[in-house]
Amino acid sequence: MAEQATERTGVPVVFTTNYPLFYFTERIAGDRVKLVFPAPADVDPAEWMPEDAIIRGFQEADLILLNGAGYEAWVERVSLPATALVDTTAGLRERFIEITEAVTHSHGPHGLHTHAGTAFTTWLDPRLATEQARAIRDALIRLLPEQAEDFTARFDRLAVDLVALDTSLEEAFGSRPGEPLLASHPVYQYLEARYALNLRSLHWEPDEVPEEEEWAELDRLLAEQPARFMVWEDEPLAETADRLTERGVAVITYNPGAQPPEEGDWLALMRENAARVQAALGRP
Amino acid sequence: MLRLFPLVRAYLRFHWGKTVILAICLATALYVPLAAHGLVRLLQQEMTQRAEATPLVIGAQGSRFDLVLHALYFRTEAPGQVRQAERFALEETGRGAVYPLHVRHRARGFPVVGTTLEYFAFRGLGVEAGTAPLRLGDAVIGWEVARSLELRPGDRLPTDPTTVFELGGAYPLDLRITGILERARSPDDRAVFVDLRTAWVIDGIGHGHDDLEAADAAEGLIARDDRHRVAGAALTMATRITSENIAAFHFHGDPADFPLTAVVVAPTDARERALLLGRYLDGDGAYQALRPPEVIGELLGLVVRLKRFFDLHHLFLLGVTVLFIGLVMLLSLRLRAGEIRTMVLLGCARGTIFRLTAAELVLLLAVSAVVAVSAATLTAFVAKTWIQTLVG
Repeated sequence: MAEQATERTGVPVVFTTNYPLFYFTERIAGDRVKLVFPAPADVDPAEWMPEDAIIRGFQEADLILLNGAGYEAWVERVSLPATALVDTTAGLRERFIEITEAVTHSHGPHGLHTHAGTAFTTWLDPRLATEQARAIRDALIRLLPEQAEDFTARFDRLAVDLVALDTSLEEAFGSRPGEPLLASHPVYQYLEARYALNLRSLHWEPDEVPEEEEWAELDRLLAEQPARFMVWEDEPLAETADRLTERGVAVITYNPGAQPPEEGDWLALMRENAARVQAALGRP
Repeated sequence: MLRLFPLVRAYLRFHWGKTVILAICLATALYVPLAAHGLVRLLQQEMTQRAEATPLVIGAQGSRFDLVLHALYFRTEAPGQVRQAERFALEETGRGAVYPLHVRHRARGFPVVGTTLEYFAFRGLGVEAGTAPLRLGDAVIGWEVARSLELRPGDRLPTDPTTVFELGGAYPLDLRITGILERARSPDDRAVFVDLRTAWVIDGIGHGHDDLEAADAAEGLIARDDRHRVAGAALTMATRITSENIAAFHFHGDPADFPLTAVVVAPTDARERALLLGRYLDGDGAYQALRPPEVIGELLGLVVRLKRFFDLHHLFLLGVTVLFIGLVMLLSLRLRAGEIRTMVLLGCARGTIFRLTAAELVLLLAVSAVVAVSAATLTAFVAKTWIQTLVG
């Protein structure tokens, strides 16, 4: 029904659902495929619902790379060709982190259920990111078997970069093991698990000044978790940063990179994150 | 003898009443077996074609005929459900393409077929107008459905409610028509295709409802504590999926447990087909694997046996008709005794009179045969589309 893109252009079309997947695919496939990451720049791809025209694009793609782990909630609300879907974390289920702090409810004959799920920013753990990239390589080889050697060589180079990133993060976080940390949003679960961080999360947005009630909640949390650093997805507003400084809490910006950065690429962004962590935690 | 035909033709035309009655009797006696033969052959042809285009059907244990007719024609109820885990297991084997089917609901009397986008390519179905289903609540309708219900892309089509006497049953869902399929001259023309997940929404496994944390949902809540909310029937359930409420739609339970009614499998080759069939050789299992050409062949065997009985019946009727026409001819000859005597007195040989009578019969038979064959051909032509849509 939906004419596959390859049939029209001769080049396979690969759709990705977040920027890390886009970056990994670009590194592995180069210009052998036409790569599309259709989420608008101003939305979080995890909270996104594609427009009809974009869904049609997905339907015509030769390969649709999903992050999985519950990242693309919208996928269960749209019609996509099952044979084109590749869940890059399908083989990592045992390493998923469940979110338990959520309300359950029930109605009808189907019993209790919850809308909580799995932490999905898997790529923040470079070792999981490597496995996702490996799944992408395998999917690309199935799509273009004649390019297997090239894809494998390119993947190997990416894997080396990810190992180096892992090492630098290990050093950065390892400079103060067990240091109490806060996170503005619960998105760092895999980072926490990988580097054994002592991290507690809030639900604060960088572009909003928290309400007084939220500051009170922070004060209660600081009593339990005497953190001197708070990890943010993006630079918080100056007012927020100032009030944190008053409490002796410094800001560390750690951008998860679900969207492309204004400059550089995903790896550069992660290296900058690592450098910021190193600069903050490495200080005496 | 040929020179006698103008005379015979003039006679038959003059006695047109008798000629028409005799021709109708003879033509009917010839038409019925001819038409029946044509229709049965067409039925065999179309059913075999659809069955051969459907290599394997997996479904619950039970009537083999029900399962195959369900998977091919969406007509009968499936003998039972297939857990989606079975579909995943089949896909995992990599032995062929897997097309899940969920056919439990109807919309304005037409079957609602839940499946994946790959089904359309498998059946060679193209879109005449609009697009394939894009999101939950979308449907692409068969050519015949569009024509019968006068629907176009953008229109709405509600599913038939099942909750009239079953308060806990499925709510009707207002489907958004995104496309109309090209005419396929098959049962797909009379189906409403939706994504599998939309079928599960109609089942009630997936749904959208008020935010249970919102104040206006309070009256829908029966009980709540810090971590649990129990909602009652007063909770407002969405019966139309829109851009505004689609994010509220969610599914309950493990997708592996979600129900299908059949799974069509197209194995990559004969070896894989044998291996797939081997998976289900143990008759004690919950599922069976059927080869539609075999099952349809059996079914058609019954039809052919029935047809043989009717063939004998038709032969008997034909014999009676011939006797009846013979009687009419004899009586006619008696009525024409004076006419024949005059012909003899005018010098006409008795052989010529016999040839005249024979020519009359031959002409009558020829006209009747032409009428019968034409009518049978016309019947087959008219019935072809109907049979194709029904079983093709």
